[in-house]
Amino acid sequence: MNFRNIVTRKIMSSALLLTLAGTSPVLAAGDAKGLPQLDITTWPNQLFWLVVTFGIGYVIMSRFITPRIGGVLEQRGKTIQNDLTRAKEAEAEAQEMKAEYEASLDEARAKGAEAASKAMSEAKESADTAEAALTAKLAKKTKAAETKLAKIRDEALASINDVASEVTQDAVMAVTGMKVTKAEATKSVSKLAKAGAGQEA
Amino acid sequence: MHSPVEQFAIKVLFALNLFGFDIQFTNSSLFMVLAVLVSSAFLYFAMAPAATVPGRMQGLAEMLYEFVADMVRGNVGSEGRPYFPFIFTLFVFVLFSNLLGLIPYSYTTTSQIVVTFAMAMFIFIGVTMIALFKHGLHFFSFFVPAGAPKVLIPFLVLIEVISYFVRPVSLSVRLFANMLAGHTMLKVFGGLAVMIASAGGVFVAGSILPLVAIIGLTGLEILVAVLQAYVFTILTCMYLNDALHLH
Repeated sequence: MNFRNIVTRKIMSSALLLTLAGTSPVLAAGDAKGLPQLDITTWPNQLFWLVVTFGIGYVIMSRFITPRIGGVLEQRGKTIQNDLTRAKEAEAEAQEMKAEYEASLDEARAKGAEAASKAMSEAKESADTAEAALTAKLAKKTKAAETKLAKIRDEALASINDVASEVTQDAVMAVTGMKVTKAEATKSVSKLAKAGAGQEA
Repeated sequence: MHSPVEQFAIKVLFALNLFGFDIQFTNSSLFMVLAVLVSSAFLYFAMAPAATVPGRMQGLAEMLYEFVADMVRGNVGSEGRPYFPFIFTLFVFVLFSNLLGLIPYSYTTTSQIVVTFAMAMFIFIGVTMIALFKHGLHFFSFFVPAGAPKVLIPFLVLIEVISYFVRPVSLSVRLFANMLAGHTMLKVFGGLAVMIASAGGVFVAGSILPLVAIIGLTGLEILVAVLQAYVFTILTCMYLNDALHLH
Protein backbone atom coordinates (compact mmCIF):
# COMPACT_ATOMS: atom_id res chain seq x y z
CA MET A 1 0.00 0.00 0.00
CA ASN A 2 1.68 3.19 -1.15
CA PHE A 3 0.37 5.73 1.26
CA ARG A 4 2.48 8.59 0.02
CA ASN A 5 1.29 8.07 -3.54
CA ILE A 6 -2.32 8.18 -2.55
CA VAL A 7 -1.89 11.23 -0.38
CA THR A 8 0.01 13.01 -3.15
CA ARG A 9 -2.70 12.20 -5.65
CA LYS A 10 -5.38 13.25 -3.24
CA ILE A 11 -3.67 16.54 -2.50
CA MET A 12 -3.18 17.22 -6.19
CA SER A 13 -6.76 16.38 -7.04
CA SER A 14 -8.06 18.48 -4.17
CA ALA A 15 -5.81 21.37 -5.16
CA LEU A 16 -7.13 21.21 -8.70
CA LEU A 17 -10.67 21.03 -7.47
CA LEU A 18 -10.19 23.96 -5.09
CA THR A 19 -8.46 26.02 -7.76
CA LEU A 20 -11.29 25.46 -10.19
CA ALA A 21 -13.92 26.02 -7.53
CA GLY A 22 -12.11 29.14 -6.45
CA THR A 23 -11.64 30.58 -9.91
CA SER A 24 -15.05 29.69 -11.24
CA PRO A 25 -16.79 32.72 -9.75
CA VAL A 26 -14.11 34.89 -11.35
CA LEU A 27 -14.52 33.15 -14.69
CA ALA A 28 -18.26 33.35 -14.31
CA ALA A 29 -17.92 37.11 -14.14
CA GLY A 30 -20.10 37.84 -11.20
CA ASP A 31 -22.05 34.60 -11.20
CA ALA A 32 -21.39 33.57 -7.61
CA LYS A 33 -23.24 30.24 -7.71
CA GLY A 34 -19.99 28.25 -7.93
CA LEU A 35 -19.68 24.70 -9.18
CA PRO A 36 -23.04 23.16 -10.12
CA GLN A 37 -21.66 19.82 -8.88
CA LEU A 38 -21.61 21.10 -5.32
CA ASP A 39 -25.30 21.92 -5.34
CA ILE A 40 -26.46 19.13 -3.07
CA THR A 41 -30.11 19.55 -3.98
CA THR A 42 -29.42 17.73 -7.26
CA TRP A 43 -27.72 14.80 -5.53
CA PRO A 44 -30.65 12.60 -4.51
CA ASN A 45 -32.06 12.74 -8.03
CA GLN A 46 -28.70 11.84 -9.59
CA LEU A 47 -28.17 9.06 -7.07
CA PHE A 48 -31.58 7.64 -7.95
CA TRP A 49 -30.86 7.65 -11.67
CA LEU A 50 -27.36 6.30 -11.15
CA VAL A 51 -28.71 3.34 -9.18
CA VAL A 52 -31.43 2.70 -11.76
CA THR A 53 -29.25 3.02 -14.86
CA PHE A 54 -26.21 1.25 -13.45
CA GLY A 55 -28.45 -1.49 -12.06
CA ILE A 56 -30.12 -2.03 -15.42
CA GLY A 57 -26.71 -1.84 -17.11
CA TYR A 58 -25.39 -4.49 -14.73
CA VAL A 59 -28.31 -6.80 -15.44
CA ILE A 60 -27.91 -6.35 -19.22
CA MET A 61 -24.15 -6.91 -19.10
CA SER A 62 -24.20 -9.87 -16.71
CA ARG A 63 -27.25 -11.58 -18.25
CA PHE A 64 -26.87 -10.96 -21.97
CA ILE A 65 -23.64 -9.31 -23.04
CA THR A 66 -20.84 -11.02 -21.12
CA PRO A 67 -22.20 -14.58 -21.47
CA ARG A 68 -22.61 -13.96 -25.19
CA ILE A 69 -19.10 -12.62 -25.77
CA GLY A 70 -17.63 -15.21 -23.41
CA GLY A 71 -19.54 -17.95 -25.25
CA VAL A 72 -18.29 -16.81 -28.65
CA LEU A 73 -14.70 -16.65 -27.38
CA GLU A 74 -15.01 -20.07 -25.75
CA GLN A 75 -16.52 -21.50 -28.93
CA ARG A 76 -13.65 -20.05 -30.93
CA GLY A 77 -11.11 -21.53 -28.54
CA LYS A 78 -12.83 -24.91 -28.87
CA THR A 79 -12.90 -24.67 -32.67
CA ILE A 80 -9.21 -23.85 -32.78
CA GLN A 81 -8.46 -26.68 -30.35
CA ASN A 82 -10.55 -29.09 -32.42
CA ASP A 83 -8.85 -28.05 -35.64
CA LEU A 84 -5.46 -28.54 -34.04
CA THR A 85 -6.44 -31.97 -32.76
CA ARG A 86 -7.80 -32.91 -36.18
CA ALA A 87 -4.61 -31.74 -37.86
CA LYS A 88 -2.55 -33.78 -35.44
CA GLU A 89 -4.69 -36.83 -36.08
CA ALA A 90 -4.39 -36.39 -39.84
CA GLU A 91 -0.65 -36.08 -39.50
CA ALA A 92 -0.45 -39.28 -37.44
CA GLU A 93 -2.63 -41.02 -40.03
CA ALA A 94 -0.37 -39.85 -42.84
CA GLN A 95 2.67 -41.11 -40.92
CA GLU A 96 0.96 -44.44 -40.41
CA MET A 97 0.12 -44.67 -44.11
CA LYS A 98 3.68 -43.84 -45.02
CA ALA A 99 5.00 -46.53 -42.68
CA GLU A 100 2.51 -49.01 -44.14
CA TYR A 101 3.54 -48.14 -47.66
CA GLU A 102 7.19 -48.51 -46.78
CA ALA A 103 6.53 -51.86 -45.11
CA SER A 104 4.68 -53.13 -48.18
CA LEU A 105 7.49 -51.85 -50.36
CA ASP A 106 10.03 -53.73 -48.23
CA GLU A 107 7.90 -56.86 -48.37
CA ALA A 108 7.62 -56.63 -52.15
CA ARG A 109 11.35 -56.16 -52.39
CA ALA A 110 12.02 -59.18 -50.19
CA LYS A 111 9.53 -61.25 -52.19
CA GLY A 112 11.19 -60.21 -55.43
CA ALA A 113 14.61 -61.12 -54.15
CA GLU A 114 13.31 -64.46 -52.93
CA ALA A 115 11.65 -65.21 -56.28
CA ALA A 116 14.82 -64.25 -58.11
CA SER A 117 17.00 -66.51 -55.96
CA LYS A 118 14.46 -69.33 -56.25
CA ALA A 119 14.39 -69.05 -60.05
CA MET A 120 18.15 -68.96 -60.08
CA SER A 121 18.48 -72.08 -57.94
CA GLU A 122 15.81 -73.84 -59.99
CA ALA A 123 17.60 -73.01 -63.20
CA LYS A 124 20.85 -74.23 -61.71
CA GLU A 125 19.22 -77.43 -60.58
CA SER A 126 17.71 -78.13 -63.98
CA ALA A 127 21.04 -77.32 -65.61
CA ASP A 128 22.74 -79.72 -63.22
CA THR A 129 20.20 -82.42 -64.03
CA ALA A 130 20.61 -81.89 -67.73
CA GLU A 131 24.36 -81.96 -67.36
CA ALA A 132 24.22 -85.15 -65.33
CA ALA A 133 21.90 -86.75 -67.87
CA LEU A 134 24.19 -85.70 -70.69
CA THR A 135 27.22 -87.03 -68.86
CA ALA A 136 25.46 -90.32 -68.24
CA LYS A 137 24.38 -90.55 -71.87
CA LEU A 138 27.86 -89.77 -73.03
CA ALA A 139 29.33 -92.29 -70.64
CA LYS A 140 26.89 -94.91 -71.93
CA LYS A 141 27.80 -94.08 -75.52
CA THR A 142 31.50 -94.20 -74.68
CA LYS A 143 31.05 -97.52 -72.99
CA ALA A 144 29.12 -98.90 -75.99
CA ALA A 145 31.84 -97.63 -78.32
CA GLU A 146 34.48 -99.14 -76.13
CA THR A 147 32.64 -102.46 -76.04
CA LYS A 148 32.26 -102.37 -79.78
CA LEU A 149 35.91 -101.49 -80.14
CA ALA A 150 36.95 -104.35 -77.83
CA LYS A 151 34.75 -106.75 -79.75
CA ILE A 152 36.23 -105.61 -83.03
CA ARG A 153 39.69 -105.88 -81.56
CA ASP A 154 38.96 -109.36 -80.19
CA GLU A 155 37.57 -110.39 -83.55
CA ALA A 156 40.56 -108.84 -85.23
CA LEU A 157 42.82 -110.63 -82.80
CA ALA A 158 40.95 -113.91 -83.37
CA SER A 159 41.19 -113.52 -87.14
CA ILE A 160 44.87 -112.64 -86.71
CA ASN A 161 45.36 -116.05 -85.04
CA ASP A 162 43.54 -117.74 -87.92
CA VAL A 163 45.56 -115.81 -90.44
CA ALA A 164 48.70 -116.56 -88.45
CA SER A 165 47.97 -120.31 -88.32
CA GLU A 166 47.26 -120.38 -92.05
CA VAL A 167 50.45 -118.39 -92.65
CA THR A 168 52.21 -120.82 -90.32
CA GLN A 169 50.78 -123.84 -92.23
CA ASP A 170 51.87 -122.31 -95.48
CA ALA A 171 55.24 -121.27 -94.11
CA VAL A 172 55.92 -124.75 -92.65
CA MET A 173 54.82 -126.35 -95.92
CA ALA A 174 57.04 -124.06 -97.89
CA VAL A 175 60.06 -124.43 -95.66
CA THR A 176 59.83 -128.05 -94.66
CA GLY A 177 57.33 -129.50 -97.03
CA MET A 178 55.62 -130.92 -94.03
CA LYS A 179 51.98 -130.79 -93.78
CA VAL A 180 50.83 -129.27 -90.57
CA THR A 181 47.24 -129.62 -89.53
CA LYS A 182 45.28 -126.60 -88.86
CA ALA A 183 44.73 -127.58 -85.29
CA GLU A 184 48.44 -127.90 -84.60
CA ALA A 185 49.12 -124.55 -86.19
CA THR A 186 46.46 -122.89 -84.27
CA LYS A 187 47.73 -124.39 -81.04
CA SER A 188 51.21 -123.18 -81.54
CA VAL A 189 50.13 -119.75 -82.71
CA SER A 190 47.90 -119.17 -79.71
CA LYS A 191 50.74 -120.46 -77.47
CA LEU A 192 53.06 -117.90 -79.00
CA ALA A 193 50.43 -115.21 -78.92
CA LYS A 194 49.91 -115.91 -75.27
CA ALA A 195 53.59 -115.77 -74.58
CA GLY A 196 53.76 -112.50 -76.53
CA ALA A 197 50.87 -111.14 -74.70
CA GLY A 198 52.55 -112.19 -71.46
CA GLN A 199 55.74 -110.53 -72.58
CA GLU A 200 53.87 -107.47 -73.58
CA ALA A 201 52.15 -107.43 -70.22
CA MET B 1 -20.68 35.37 -21.61
CA HIS B 2 -21.35 31.96 -20.15
CA SER B 3 -19.35 30.56 -17.30
CA PRO B 4 -17.04 27.63 -18.23
CA VAL B 5 -18.64 25.59 -15.46
CA GLU B 6 -22.19 26.30 -16.54
CA GLN B 7 -21.97 23.21 -18.75
CA PHE B 8 -22.11 21.09 -15.60
CA ALA B 9 -25.46 22.53 -14.50
CA ILE B 10 -28.30 20.09 -14.02
CA LYS B 11 -31.26 20.94 -16.24
CA VAL B 12 -34.64 19.35 -15.77
CA LEU B 13 -35.91 17.87 -19.04
CA PHE B 14 -39.29 16.73 -17.74
CA ALA B 15 -40.88 16.04 -14.41
CA LEU B 16 -41.44 12.47 -13.30
CA ASN B 17 -43.09 10.99 -10.25
CA LEU B 18 -42.82 7.51 -8.79
CA PHE B 19 -45.16 6.74 -5.90
CA GLY B 20 -45.01 10.36 -4.90
CA PHE B 21 -41.23 10.55 -5.15
CA ASP B 22 -39.85 13.24 -7.37
CA ILE B 23 -37.63 11.54 -9.94
CA GLN B 24 -37.49 14.33 -12.51
CA PHE B 25 -35.62 13.44 -15.65
CA THR B 26 -32.59 15.70 -16.11
CA ASN B 27 -29.73 16.00 -18.60
CA SER B 28 -27.64 13.99 -16.15
CA SER B 29 -30.29 11.21 -16.08
CA LEU B 30 -30.53 11.28 -19.86
CA PHE B 31 -26.82 10.68 -20.35
CA MET B 32 -26.74 7.92 -17.74
CA VAL B 33 -29.56 6.23 -19.66
CA LEU B 34 -27.73 6.87 -22.93
CA ALA B 35 -24.46 5.42 -21.58
CA VAL B 36 -26.25 2.16 -20.73
CA LEU B 37 -28.35 2.17 -23.89
CA VAL B 38 -25.52 2.98 -26.31
CA SER B 39 -23.04 0.57 -24.72
CA SER B 40 -25.59 -2.26 -24.53
CA ALA B 41 -26.79 -1.69 -28.10
CA PHE B 42 -23.24 -1.49 -29.41
CA LEU B 43 -22.14 -4.66 -27.65
CA TYR B 44 -25.34 -6.49 -28.57
CA PHE B 45 -25.33 -5.65 -32.27
CA ALA B 46 -21.56 -5.99 -32.61
CA MET B 47 -21.84 -9.52 -31.25
CA ALA B 48 -24.91 -10.36 -33.33
CA PRO B 49 -22.97 -12.30 -36.00
CA ALA B 50 -21.25 -14.35 -33.25
CA ALA B 51 -18.76 -15.31 -35.93
CA THR B 52 -15.77 -17.54 -35.35
CA VAL B 53 -13.70 -15.10 -37.38
CA PRO B 54 -14.89 -11.71 -36.08
CA GLY B 55 -15.59 -8.66 -38.22
CA ARG B 56 -14.48 -5.17 -37.22
CA MET B 57 -17.34 -4.40 -34.83
CA GLN B 58 -17.31 -7.85 -33.24
CA GLY B 59 -13.53 -7.56 -32.91
CA LEU B 60 -13.97 -4.27 -31.07
CA ALA B 61 -16.58 -5.72 -28.70
CA GLU B 62 -14.38 -8.75 -28.03
CA MET B 63 -11.37 -6.50 -27.45
CA LEU B 64 -13.33 -4.57 -24.82
CA TYR B 65 -14.31 -7.84 -23.12
CA GLU B 66 -10.82 -9.32 -23.24
CA PHE B 67 -9.30 -6.06 -22.02
CA VAL B 68 -11.40 -6.14 -18.84
CA ALA B 69 -11.06 -9.94 -18.53
CA ASP B 70 -7.26 -9.66 -18.66
CA MET B 71 -7.38 -6.82 -16.14
CA VAL B 72 -9.41 -8.94 -13.69
CA ARG B 73 -7.29 -12.05 -14.32
CA GLY B 74 -4.02 -10.15 -13.95
CA ASN B 75 -4.91 -8.11 -10.87
CA VAL B 76 -7.35 -10.30 -8.95
CA GLY B 77 -6.73 -13.80 -10.27
CA SER B 78 -9.23 -16.60 -10.74
CA GLU B 79 -11.14 -15.61 -7.56
CA GLY B 80 -12.12 -12.41 -9.35
CA ARG B 81 -14.29 -14.32 -11.83
CA PRO B 82 -17.61 -13.83 -10.02
CA TYR B 83 -17.00 -10.08 -9.93
CA PHE B 84 -16.15 -9.85 -13.63
CA PRO B 85 -19.65 -8.77 -14.79
CA PHE B 86 -19.63 -5.93 -12.27
CA ILE B 87 -16.12 -4.78 -13.23
CA PHE B 88 -17.08 -5.00 -16.90
CA THR B 89 -20.26 -2.96 -16.34
CA LEU B 90 -18.26 -0.42 -14.36
CA PHE B 91 -15.64 -0.02 -17.08
CA VAL B 92 -18.21 0.21 -19.87
CA PHE B 93 -20.41 2.64 -17.92
CA VAL B 94 -17.55 4.99 -17.05
CA LEU B 95 -15.98 4.71 -20.52
CA PHE B 96 -19.20 5.45 -22.38
CA SER B 97 -20.14 8.26 -19.95
CA ASN B 98 -16.72 9.85 -20.49
CA LEU B 99 -16.78 9.45 -24.26
CA LEU B 100 -20.42 10.53 -24.72
CA GLY B 101 -19.59 13.62 -22.68
CA LEU B 102 -17.05 14.66 -25.30
CA ILE B 103 -19.73 15.07 -27.95
CA PRO B 104 -20.56 18.79 -28.23
CA TYR B 105 -23.76 19.82 -26.40
CA SER B 106 -23.84 16.52 -24.53
CA TYR B 107 -23.51 16.06 -20.78
CA THR B 108 -20.74 14.34 -18.83
CA THR B 109 -22.27 12.44 -15.93
CA THR B 110 -18.84 11.45 -14.60
CA SER B 111 -18.07 15.13 -14.04
CA GLN B 112 -20.57 14.97 -11.18
CA ILE B 113 -18.81 14.29 -7.88
CA VAL B 114 -21.96 12.71 -6.49
CA VAL B 115 -21.96 10.14 -9.30
CA THR B 116 -18.28 9.22 -9.03
CA PHE B 117 -18.36 9.30 -5.25
CA ALA B 118 -21.43 7.05 -5.13
CA MET B 119 -19.70 4.51 -7.36
CA ALA B 120 -16.50 4.74 -5.32
CA MET B 121 -18.42 4.34 -2.05
CA PHE B 122 -20.30 1.35 -3.39
CA ILE B 123 -16.99 -0.25 -4.41
CA PHE B 124 -15.36 0.66 -1.08
CA ILE B 125 -18.19 -0.74 1.04
CA GLY B 126 -18.60 -3.77 -1.21
CA VAL B 127 -14.90 -4.58 -1.14
CA THR B 128 -14.74 -4.15 2.66
CA MET B 129 -17.75 -6.45 3.08
CA ILE B 130 -16.16 -9.07 0.84
CA ALA B 131 -12.95 -8.88 2.89
CA LEU B 132 -14.86 -9.16 6.20
CA PHE B 133 -16.94 -12.11 5.00
CA LYS B 134 -13.94 -13.89 3.61
CA HIS B 135 -11.38 -13.27 6.35
CA GLY B 136 -13.46 -12.31 9.39
CA LEU B 137 -11.48 -10.51 12.06
CA HIS B 138 -8.28 -11.54 10.34
CA PHE B 139 -9.10 -8.77 7.89
CA PHE B 140 -7.79 -6.20 10.39
CA SER B 141 -4.28 -7.62 10.02
CA PHE B 142 -4.41 -5.83 6.68
CA PHE B 143 -3.69 -2.60 8.56
CA VAL B 144 -0.54 -3.96 10.25
CA PRO B 145 2.39 -3.97 7.84
CA ALA B 146 4.39 -7.18 8.06
CA GLY B 147 7.92 -7.01 9.47
CA ALA B 148 7.60 -3.45 10.81
CA PRO B 149 9.48 -2.44 14.00
CA LYS B 150 7.18 -2.74 17.06
CA VAL B 151 7.66 0.89 18.04
CA LEU B 152 6.40 2.08 14.68
CA ILE B 153 3.35 -0.16 14.53
CA PRO B 154 0.79 2.27 16.06
CA PHE B 155 1.94 4.98 13.70
CA LEU B 156 1.93 2.66 10.67
CA VAL B 157 -1.51 1.31 11.52
CA LEU B 158 -2.80 4.87 11.68
CA ILE B 159 -1.34 5.58 8.23
CA GLU B 160 -2.77 2.38 6.80
CA VAL B 161 -6.22 3.08 8.24
CA ILE B 162 -6.22 6.61 6.85
CA SER B 163 -5.01 5.45 3.47
CA TYR B 164 -7.70 2.78 3.43
CA PHE B 165 -10.50 5.22 4.18
CA VAL B 166 -9.14 7.76 1.73
CA ARG B 167 -9.60 5.23 -1.10
CA PRO B 168 -13.18 6.15 -2.06
CA VAL B 169 -12.28 9.83 -1.95
CA SER B 170 -9.21 9.50 -4.15
CA LEU B 171 -10.98 7.11 -6.51
CA SER B 172 -13.97 9.41 -7.04
CA VAL B 173 -12.12 12.72 -7.01
CA ARG B 174 -9.59 11.50 -9.59
CA LEU B 175 -12.29 10.76 -12.17
CA PHE B 176 -14.44 13.75 -11.27
CA ALA B 177 -11.54 16.24 -11.30
CA ASN B 178 -10.19 14.95 -14.60
CA MET B 179 -13.56 15.32 -16.27
CA LEU B 180 -14.22 18.68 -14.66
CA ALA B 181 -10.80 20.08 -15.59
CA GLY B 182 -10.88 18.77 -19.15
CA HIS B 183 -14.32 20.07 -19.99
CA THR B 184 -13.69 23.37 -18.23
CA MET B 185 -10.48 23.80 -20.21
CA LEU B 186 -12.29 23.14 -23.49
CA LYS B 187 -14.94 25.71 -22.56
CA VAL B 188 -12.34 28.27 -21.51
CA PHE B 189 -10.55 28.00 -24.85
CA GLY B 190 -13.87 28.04 -26.68
CA GLY B 191 -14.91 31.15 -24.78
CA LEU B 192 -11.53 32.69 -25.56
CA ALA B 193 -12.01 32.09 -29.28
CA VAL B 194 -15.42 33.76 -29.19
CA MET B 195 -14.08 36.63 -27.10
CA ILE B 196 -11.16 37.30 -29.46
CA ALA B 197 -13.36 37.00 -32.54
CA SER B 198 -15.96 39.37 -31.10
CA ALA B 199 -13.26 42.05 -30.79
CA GLY B 200 -13.47 42.28 -34.58
CA GLY B 201 -10.93 43.32 -37.19
CA VAL B 202 -7.56 41.55 -37.15
CA PHE B 203 -8.56 39.73 -33.96
CA VAL B 204 -10.88 37.46 -35.92
CA ALA B 205 -7.81 35.80 -37.46
CA GLY B 206 -6.29 35.53 -33.99
CA SER B 207 -9.18 33.41 -32.79
CA ILE B 208 -7.67 30.59 -34.84
CA LEU B 209 -5.13 29.97 -32.07
CA PRO B 210 -7.59 28.90 -29.33
CA LEU B 211 -9.47 26.90 -31.95
CA VAL B 212 -6.31 24.93 -32.77
CA ALA B 213 -5.76 24.49 -29.04
CA ILE B 214 -9.29 23.07 -28.73
CA ILE B 215 -8.56 20.51 -31.45
CA GLY B 216 -5.43 19.37 -29.63
CA LEU B 217 -7.22 19.38 -26.28
CA THR B 218 -10.10 17.34 -27.66
CA GLY B 219 -7.61 14.64 -28.69
CA LEU B 220 -6.11 14.79 -25.22
CA GLU B 221 -9.57 14.59 -23.63
CA ILE B 222 -10.39 11.43 -25.61
CA LEU B 223 -7.20 9.92 -24.20
CA VAL B 224 -8.12 11.10 -20.69
CA ALA B 225 -11.67 9.71 -21.05
CA VAL B 226 -10.35 6.22 -21.89
CA LEU B 227 -7.46 6.41 -19.46
CA GLN B 228 -9.60 7.49 -16.49
CA ALA B 229 -12.11 4.72 -17.18
CA TYR B 230 -9.16 2.32 -17.17
CA VAL B 231 -7.67 3.79 -13.99
CA PHE B 232 -11.03 3.70 -12.20
CA THR B 233 -11.49 0.05 -13.15
CA ILE B 234 -7.97 -1.14 -12.45
CA LEU B 235 -8.00 0.48 -8.99
CA THR B 236 -11.29 -1.31 -8.30
CA CYS B 237 -9.54 -4.54 -9.32
CA MET B 238 -6.66 -3.78 -6.95
CA TYR B 239 -8.99 -3.04 -4.04
CA LEU B 240 -10.84 -6.27 -4.78
CA ASN B 241 -7.55 -8.12 -4.86
CA ASP B 242 -6.59 -6.66 -1.46
CA ALA B 243 -9.96 -7.75 -0.09
CA LEU B 244 -9.63 -11.30 -1.43
CA HIS B 245 -5.96 -11.87 -0.67
CA LEU B 246 -5.04 -9.26 2.03
CA HIS B 247 -1.85 -8.47 0.02
